[in-house]
Amino acid sequence: MSEADAPARREGAPGIGAARWIGKRVPRKEDARLLTGRGQYTDDVMLPGTLHVAFARSQIARGNIVSIDTGAALDVPGVHSIMLAKDLARQPITMMSFFFTPSEVPITPLADTYVQYVGDPLALVIAETRAIAEDAAALIAVEYEELEPVVTVAQAMGGPPIHPGTDSNVSAEIGDEEPEGELLDALNAAAHRVRQTVVHQRISQAPMENRAILATREGPEELTLYITCQSPHNIARWVSLALGLPEAAIRVIAKDVGGSFGLKNTPWKEECAVICAAMLFGRPLKWTEDRYEALTASAQAREAEMRLEVGFDADGRMQASHGIYDCNNGAYPQGADNNIAVHMFMWPAYKMPTYGFVSRGWYTNTNGLAAYRGPWAMESLIRETLLDKAARKIGIDPVEIRRGNLVYLSDQPTTSCMGIPVDDITPGECLEKLVANFDIPAFRREQANARREGRYLGLGIATYIEPTGSAGSMAPMTGELAQVRIEPTGKVTAAMSTHSQGHGTATTMAQCIADRLGVRYEDVTVYEGDNTRGGFGPGAAGSRQGVIGGGAAIRASEMLADKVKTLAAHLYNASPESVSIEEGIVHIAGAPEMSRPIGELANIAYGEPHRLPPGFEAGLEVQFRYQPPPMTMTSAAHACVVEVDADTGFVKILRWIASEDCGTVINPAVVEGQVAGGLAQAIGMVLLEDMPYDARGNPMAATFKDYLLPAITDVPIFEYIHANTPSKTIGGMRGVGEGGAIIGPPTLVNAIADALSPFGEIEELVLPLTPARILDVIEQRDVSGTARLRAGVREMEEAAATAIPQAGPANAMAPPAASLVLPGGTKTAAATAAAIDGDWNLVLKMPMGPQAMVAHFQTDGGVLSGYLSASEGRQEFAGGSWGEGCARFEVKVEQPMKITLKYDLQVDEDAISGRCKMGMFGSAKVTGERAGRR
Amino acid sequence: MKPAPFDYVAPTTVAEACQILSEAGGGATVIAGGQTLMPLLNLRMSQPFILVDVNRIEGFAGVTRVSNGTRIGPTTRQADALNDKVLARELPALVQALSHVGHHQTRNRGTIGGSIALGEPAAEMPATAVALGATIEIASVRGTRRVAARDFYIGPYMTVLEPDELVTGIVYPDWLEGHHVLFREVARRPGDFALVGMVGAAVVESGTIARAGLAWFGMGPTPIGMNRLEGALVGEALDRLDLDALAAVGLADAAPFDDHHASAEYRRTVGRRIFVKTMREAFALREPA
Amino acid sequence: MSEHAIQLTINGRRHTGRVEARTSLGDFLRADAGYTGVHIGCEHGVCGACTVVVDGRAVRSCLMLAVQADGAEVTTVEGLADPEGTLHPVQQAMRDAHGLQCGFCTPGVVMTFAALTAEGAKPTEEQLIAAMSGHICRCTGYQGIRKAARILTSGDTA
Repeated sequence: MSEADAPARREGAPGIGAARWIGKRVPRKEDARLLTGRGQYTDDVMLPGTLHVAFARSQIARGNIVSIDTGAALDVPGVHSIMLAKDLARQPITMMSFFFTPSEVPITPLADTYVQYVGDPLALVIAETRAIAEDAAALIAVEYEELEPVVTVAQAMGGPPIHPGTDSNVSAEIGDEEPEGELLDALNAAAHRVRQTVVHQRISQAPMENRAILATREGPEELTLYITCQSPHNIARWVSLALGLPEAAIRVIAKDVGGSFGLKNTPWKEECAVICAAMLFGRPLKWTEDRYEALTASAQAREAEMRLEVGFDADGRMQASHGIYDCNNGAYPQGADNNIAVHMFMWPAYKMPTYGFVSRGWYTNTNGLAAYRGPWAMESLIRETLLDKAARKIGIDPVEIRRGNLVYLSDQPTTSCMGIPVDDITPGECLEKLVANFDIPAFRREQANARREGRYLGLGIATYIEPTGSAGSMAPMTGELAQVRIEPTGKVTAAMSTHSQGHGTATTMAQCIADRLGVRYEDVTVYEGDNTRGGFGPGAAGSRQGVIGGGAAIRASEMLADKVKTLAAHLYNASPESVSIEEGIVHIAGAPEMSRPIGELANIAYGEPHRLPPGFEAGLEVQFRYQPPPMTMTSAAHACVVEVDADTGFVKILRWIASEDCGTVINPAVVEGQVAGGLAQAIGMVLLEDMPYDARGNPMAATFKDYLLPAITDVPIFEYIHANTPSKTIGGMRGVGEGGAIIGPPTLVNAIADALSPFGEIEELVLPLTPARILDVIEQRDVSGTARLRAGVREMEEAAATAIPQAGPANAMAPPAASLVLPGGTKTAAATAAAIDGDWNLVLKMPMGPQAMVAHFQTDGGVLSGYLSASEGRQEFAGGSWGEGCARFEVKVEQPMKITLKYDLQVDEDAISGRCKMGMFGSAKVTGERAGRR
Repeated sequence: MKPAPFDYVAPTTVAEACQILSEAGGGATVIAGGQTLMPLLNLRMSQPFILVDVNRIEGFAGVTRVSNGTRIGPTTRQADALNDKVLARELPALVQALSHVGHHQTRNRGTIGGSIALGEPAAEMPATAVALGATIEIASVRGTRRVAARDFYIGPYMTVLEPDELVTGIVYPDWLEGHHVLFREVARRPGDFALVGMVGAAVVESGTIARAGLAWFGMGPTPIGMNRLEGALVGEALDRLDLDALAAVGLADAAPFDDHHASAEYRRTVGRRIFVKTMREAFALREPA
Repeated sequence: MSEHAIQLTINGRRHTGRVEARTSLGDFLRADAGYTGVHIGCEHGVCGACTVVVDGRAVRSCLMLAVQADGAEVTTVEGLADPEGTLHPVQQAMRDAHGLQCGFCTPGVVMTFAALTAEGAKPTEEQLIAAMSGHICRCTGYQGIRKAARILTSGDTA
């Protein structure tokens, strides 16, 4: 079926015989237990004495808690305890973001004095059974002082800050709102300026296994958690830091996990509440989220609006671009996010000379956002749909507009307009391979014929690149550890830092090990899913495990093979080069009578130390932590053919071809499974899934009757072209976990837009493309009501932009609200003359979350010098300017890339605020106060 | 998602069931297949004191021929009805509609009576009963009564059933052999409730419509019988049908609504189209040039 | 709340128990009878993960009360493979077809396939696919499940 089925022998594979396991479609190790009902998911675990937890949750989106009456609930037979925020506070916990930064706004497992979203947990019930716990939770009476909820980004822009102590609902921001300078000139000079707007709906990650945790404190110094998650190691690290209990041994077990897709990266409110309650209550406590909770009170994903403009010359070559991205972060996001990656990966695959942007995350009274497969996927969606729009506008073929702008291998190495080195991407090559395998002219003829019959076919093509295998550039991303042993029995076991939520890493890692060690796949067992096995690994996040875990497994196995060879050479008086290992048998070249099963050597290695070579460490065990390049790029081009029913607006997907470069394929079935799963989720995002909120902040899709996941009938049979070029990592893999969910949406939207082109453009892409919204285009009227809704939103945004100066970054230079009302009257001249000398606590709003630092300033007349100090280190600066309360200075940084940071700050008594211009990243907000002030 | 506490009883006769319902004074809920009720119980949207399981009532399931009609026992499983030879012969429209009810797994347990008694406005079975002119048989300790399906539904999930009453059968009148089936449904995925759907039957005698029964589902707060349209159709010659005008008559009785899945305007627009398309196909009419 | 003594056959073994009226068959099978291969995915009958075979038919165990299963014969995914561990043809087809990833929806998928192919029944591929519309799989895009349906109806291998 694919090239990967015929395993290619790469150079440098040392001394391995004929049996290659990398590249084979072997049966998965996990399947025998999962198919027979013997998997172990968190809710399957029951410990003696386990009690069950249910939560009482806020019924309103925003308000103050006046009182909570638990009397009736406590009277329910079988109820052991009911804990409120004040009770849980006896076990302090610091909830952190996905990036291990403390939350910028106060966040506690249970709501204390106010609630911020419908579903905000406010009481934890402990009872004999889940049903009893729910009976009691239903009897908890809460009195609220209800406040007007802030539900949408438009409301967040104009509405009051939802979090006490903040001056706006902006959770994170970076960049410049309006194109300026050369960028503006280039746009103005462009022959064609094409704009695209995407309004991305909110998504529920909806793994089939909901969140679940079983927490048990075992004595004063041990805590064991069974928790469905993306990495037990990452959970242990997070919980350890969050609880700040250096003395406590934290064990985390997650043998089988029923999908996650970004949701289970980080324990969130409910899991933390159960952990704290278990610490305090002394009985094993289990909470298994039900689907109603999962849909209405779990973290969600995606909701964002983006506007992108691209200027083209008369031939369709890109000249300049500007993007504006606003993300509805909800009340307590798992990382207050303005998603800088959306901009970083907007253009590296294209010859785009210059790009500017602004990116903002907004707090609202909705569920917080968490990651979802390709969290930055907006870039591919808006870019690729804009390109097709441009192709229609300029009158060139969608393939040609890409050919004219893509960065091919022959164009590399190069650097993207945002400073990303581009030396290993193949989107153009993937596109060529795709086009070679799909007869576009034949399709266009078929399309023309069909249109004459009143049938509307469409072809969508999209290309993309994706950063995968991230390690070392941000927390919690690290390398991965492989510990590989040949047991005295001759069987091979490995403890890996990887973790599967369906990825099949026990299979793919075993293939890597069998391949490079020279043993049978059947004789390799990989253990994962327990933080006491294997070293730290952040788990499945960012399409990284195949790349990094695979590299670790390969190198560790090669090192172990070398060890076997050293031993064999010593025992049989041969040279190490003459030793080979094939299918678990150790051979000496030219001496077939010397062949021995590997177990025989293992017996000697463990049990007969006197026979080992001098200096040889007993046993056959090796570990290797692979630290790969900071990221490894995956490329792809996809094509999709649809038919749109002009009567009903229904879309039928007729064909889908994926041409993907994911480097070395460890197991084609696993790779195709990842691509297919991502594409199915893409189909869901484009056509079906939607988690809207009503005006009062109630989530409207509370069941799977309303939250529509793709069914078997919605997903076509996918075709694959593995257009693979090995990467520069050990093993040559590239990540493949998220790609389908990133390139899938624009591919499908482009196909639909092509089918609809006889009727008109999809002017604003509002997802999902429901049948009613497709009829909007076909009939060129507002069948769905979306136009009416969007007009209302625009009105609100415009009103917000003029009414509330603090909310917009264009006005971020305005002094902080606190300084507007000074004791004794209005702002005085004395205030602006305040001194800057000394230490200041500053917060720089970085894309990954707020960055706290201490600034030290000293002045010499109008010249400013000093340093900025953060946990990462200290940066000196000199030659800045100071005057009229205004400080300007520049700091050069090397990490994560070379940038000159230009600070422009205003001092007002003990407060300081302003902006920091960060090269191509635009500017970020800075706030702070004089140190030692409180 | 665990139900609130309730008592459970499984009577074996209608009389026993009626007695329990009567004594419960409105606190009892009847469970048949449970495929819609169980989610409501699990979500605590329904919190009865007593759950009366009618699955063990003897003779409560099955399809029988009665004079000038076919009777379906309330606990007849949808899957059994779907494969029933009598229904296939006598009520092909019902069988076609049934294939759109839920999924294989829910039809294995879901019942015809449960679906009829629940009255989901976007469901196929209530609309089919309305369209085909079925009569609902009802029993209570106060006696029995028969209500035309057209008078049975009064609002979303609301029927004329009193709290002490039990549906004991659904009787569909005979439609002549060779009658035309009128069915089309637009749903997001298989098994989903319809965004808009229509079901019906028509008898044609020498090129003229002699009898017609049609209903909308997903087009209002209840299944909606197309009363005015049926009047307009009878006596019309097939070769003179003005389908666009008839669609307008049919839609006049509908009350489409906005919800999470589609707008009222979508339902109206597509309702008109599926009506025209279905009629054209059923009567093998040519598209106007 | 009433409690009920029930007796049923699960995977060929007699099982007696006492259940609260409100206990679903799915919860009973998992918590009381110990068959944790029955997965509870939505508790409102849409996802299909909890599907088991009751008296020969695939049904949602979240949409049936345990007390309603009194006297019934129930098969869960644990009851398919033979005691020596040889996979049931449906399980083998799913394995050969790479029909699963996280495995959470899998027991339900397997039970629907098993019910429809039991005792010499000869469903068509289309019938199996239609029945699969009653199962949600979030991982695989259904590619392997389609392949398994083909294997089960045609005798082809993956």
